[in-house]
Amino acid sequence: MSWHLTPAQAHEYAHHRSDDVTAMSVEAHITRCAPCRDLLPDDEAWLARSWADLRDVVDRPRRGPVEFLLSRLGVGEGTAKLLAATPGLYRAWLLATVVVLAAALLAAHHLPRGSLMFAFTAPVVPLVGVALAYGRGVDPAHALTSVTPLSGQRLLFLRTSAVLVPALTLCTAAALLLPSARTPWSAVFWLLPALTLVAGSLVLSRWLPLGAASTVVGTLWLTALGALTASGGTEPLQLLAPQAQAWWAGALIALVCAIAWRVRTA
Amino acid sequence: MKLLRRARRRAPDYGPDSTDAVLLAAVAAGQTHALEILHRRHATWLRARLRYRCSDPDQLDAALQETFLAVWRNAGSFTPRPGDTDAGAWLWTIAIRQLISQLRKRANHWISDSDADYETIGDASAEDTVLLNIEHGPLGAALHSLSPELRSAIQATVLDGLTVREAAQILQIPEGTVKTRVMRAKARLREALT
Repeated sequence: MSWHLTPAQAHEYAHHRSDDVTAMSVEAHITRCAPCRDLLPDDEAWLARSWADLRDVVDRPRRGPVEFLLSRLGVGEGTAKLLAATPGLYRAWLLATVVVLAAALLAAHHLPRGSLMFAFTAPVVPLVGVALAYGRGVDPAHALTSVTPLSGQRLLFLRTSAVLVPALTLCTAAALLLPSARTPWSAVFWLLPALTLVAGSLVLSRWLPLGAASTVVGTLWLTALGALTASGGTEPLQLLAPQAQAWWAGALIALVCAIAWRVRTA
Repeated sequence: MKLLRRARRRAPDYGPDSTDAVLLAAVAAGQTHALEILHRRHATWLRARLRYRCSDPDQLDAALQETFLAVWRNAGSFTPRPGDTDAGAWLWTIAIRQLISQLRKRANHWISDSDADYETIGDASAEDTVLLNIEHGPLGAALHSLSPELRSAIQATVLDGLTVREAAQILQIPEGTVKTRVMRAKARLREALT
């Protein structure tokens, strides 16, 4: 470098008072000369403001792969974040589900009439998950979220769908591993009852807390199955037979209509 | 892919006195504080320099903001030349491009969203070497004698290292006009210097 800026030149340049040619010269120089760059007077207030704005963007948490995928699919930014964050609430449930389904599979393979256990548990698994994803006792931020515009129905249904996806996936995987599963169709016999139970608890949650509603519906299901098994007259699997599926479908449609009506009028 | 790269890279030790290259390596490893040091070191002169090209302070600050965000995303693409760890030229390349994209009044997506690697422009070319002595050489007098239009054309294409197209955007004149003005300016300068 054959020359350096004088403080006066730096000052003039920084305050936009240099003439064109001097400015060009200064610019060519400071592109490479760090000491001369430091001669330019700092505007501390502006620097702090500028950095604060920048930090806001830079410190924003990175989007996870799930969130990224959801927003790619057209889900809104806030909704995607919510859906991706929900599993944090029910990690224990997810683990329990895997254990229960594994136990059911074990029973189905090694005990006579062991697949009954799967028939008992599969519809209840999503129900428990839904009960654990929303409510005062479960969500540590419930008191906060309950005063946001997102709370209530919308949050409940979003959480429910965030639970149903892993629950149904796990149950389907387990059902495909059952000894009796010969066709894909025979592996999804539990699906309609499961959805109906979830819809039932959602409808009931209008009058009861969600946890209580799920307990009621789940108990009803287990009692019905238990009673049928105990009476011995009819096969409990009748509840899941093709003829019964039509009834389940009918009930599910009715319940979904009830939910839709409730959302509409809410 | 980029996420993986960032996670795998270990941040080097750095401090307020580290060189730009070290700081950029730390930024590439996800260190916010390194970006803060770089911001403190370079924001002032970049802003002063951008101000000679754009008088609207809001657009200017927005361009500067985008510049450092681009640095945050693309810090890994900086490759220091041997013996020179200064990132000034590289940063200016980004800043002037971001300013152009601001001036285009579009949503500024065309540059900030791409993972384009910024290559340092005007690497110590013959023109640079001459320009470093503008003030004290005969070129200074010659430039003084140029009309403002011709001078701004020279400034955009030579000093800022922009393409004809980018120069047309920042000067808001057609590309053909930029070309003729640069040609005329060079002819004038040659005349004055010989």
